Amino acid sequence: MTAFRLASRTIRRYRAQTGLAVAGVAVIGALLFDMLLLSRGLLLSFGDLLDRAGFDVRVSGGGGMSLRLPIPDSSSLVAAIRALPEVRRAAEIRIQTAILRTRVGRPVGITLVGADGANEGGWTIVAGTDLTALPAPPPRCPLIVGRPLAVQLGVGPGDAVALAIEPAGTATALPSLECRIVGVAQFAFGTATDDTVATTLGAFHEAAGEVGEDEAELILVSSTREAGPMAAIEAIQRVRPGARAYSNEQVVEQFNRNGFAYFRQISLVLSSLTMAFAFLLVATLLTVSVNQRLGEIAALRAIGIGRARVAAMLLWESALLVGGGGLLAIPLGEILATGLDRILRQMPGLPEQLHFFVFEPRALAIHLVVLATTAIAAAAYPVWLATRLPIAATLRREVVG
Amino acid sequence: MTIVDARAVSRVFPMPAGPVTALRSVSLTLSAGEHVAISGPSGCGKSTLLHLIGGVDTPTTGSIVFEQRDLSRLSEPERARIRLMRIGFVFQRFFLLPMLTAAENIELPQAEAGVAAGERRARTRELLEYVGLADRADHLPSQLSGGEMQRVAIARALSNRPALLLADEPTGELDEETSAHIADLFDRVNRDGTAILVVTHNPALASRASRRLVMTSGRVLA
Repeated sequence: MTAFRLASRTIRRYRAQTGLAVAGVAVIGALLFDMLLLSRGLLLSFGDLLDRAGFDVRVSGGGGMSLRLPIPDSSSLVAAIRALPEVRRAAEIRIQTAILRTRVGRPVGITLVGADGANEGGWTIVAGTDLTALPAPPPRCPLIVGRPLAVQLGVGPGDAVALAIEPAGTATALPSLECRIVGVAQFAFGTATDDTVATTLGAFHEAAGEVGEDEAELILVSSTREAGPMAAIEAIQRVRPGARAYSNEQVVEQFNRNGFAYFRQISLVLSSLTMAFAFLLVATLLTVSVNQRLGEIAALRAIGIGRARVAAMLLWESALLVGGGGLLAIPLGEILATGLDRILRQMPGLPEQLHFFVFEPRALAIHLVVLATTAIAAAAYPVWLATRLPIAATLRREVVG
Repeated sequence: MTIVDARAVSRVFPMPAGPVTALRSVSLTLSAGEHVAISGPSGCGKSTLLHLIGGVDTPTTGSIVFEQRDLSRLSEPERARIRLMRIGFVFQRFFLLPMLTAAENIELPQAEAGVAAGERRARTRELLEYVGLADRADHLPSQLSGGEMQRVAIARALSNRPALLLADEPTGELDEETSAHIADLFDRVNRDGTAILVVTHNPALASRASRRLVMTSGRVLA
């Protein structure tokens, strides 16, 4: 008759109590699981988006990743980077606000991205063709329009539009450029109201009226598998000592410190609270259960059943209650996370493919460790009560009672 | 051969209203195979003496030697081992584990003693037959009558072949006829060599003992 068997028989005997405890722990555990998914979900999702974009190093002229300064003489830097043995490919990126005017619609403000070689991973074509697969002769100004904008404007591949660069807060008299939409795409970081439009660097320069200006906002670099991003960064900094290069991990870490610490703190506070609730629930139910069974436990001790077996029995009872609830908490937490994720992703300005709740094995491992710790902690007082009870006095009280 | 030697045992319980003396310098010896009954009014210290002899409590003064070992000098795990292997307890309220069957209740002390599973099952069958409940092995305590529960409790107390059986009001919750059956069972246990010390208000049960003691106000009168 092992302690486990005694415990499992006990919790089966007190079905209502067991049901309440398991349900309570399942609900609390689901919240804990969700907090664990939330604590690093954005970071994981953000890192995943960066990785999926197909580049593992980002180069800017300074100011960090959130406030990027233009990179002077960027064309020569891109050429030098492309020549590095640590680099597989590199893309030069220009970003500017602009106005897009359809033949029938009113003008809309857009974010124009001039990209040279960024198509692979930067966006996914959902209709039409990519900038790299244009029919000959290529249009003078080919455009890839983000899906939400295409829907909003009612345009698609083959439609002609007029594009005019209009930097924010600056009055310009730049002429419009006649462009043709060649594709509709889902941009990696596109939001639900995404206004991004991509074109070739040549078309971007033409639209911006740039002659001899050579200042990209960003250079995206993909390192070779053998070298890896850190070696590529070192090589880039040797080529251009002033350039700021960051690996995806460093970008994520930077956002972790600055942008996402808020979620981690909230998640830490809420997960601590949920575990305190789980601890209180199980500790209370076990204490009540032990108090109901004091006579039984005193008799067990009187007939020579050792403290260790009594303690092990109660620990198993706690483990079974918390374990049962904890296991139910995982699918319950997943369902809850899916719903909450859907709600949170409706916040404006967020990339459509960014998720708040992301599963990772680490979260499951922490979930299990925290629950195991809770089970042990919750059993501590009932175990102390059962193993330290005065046998004779308890038996006397039971008989008199 | 003496198995219990209680010398000048006193037990004082500290209470908020002041200390209560339950036993006053009680001395008592029990020989192997003896059958002793202790009677007396409620609160006279019968159960306290039983608990002290059983090693579930320790005297305030005096000593209790069980099989040449002073119980008050032993640690709780050592006393628990003696209770498990050498002393059997029978309680007024049976205190069977409600989630275990009759057979499992009887097996429990054997499992704690490390008896092998096959041997445990054989011993349990033997004990169930001994107490006349072979056909109730798989019944839960809730499916047994009071008398049957007490017989299972006696079988449990005998499971590790103790030298001494301590019974605290074993017929306190039973009717007269069932009490007589329990008394018969105690007689049989005693005839088979186990010493019995029974605390009881039941004169019929006490009359079965070879030696009858009466207690009052924490003292043994006779």
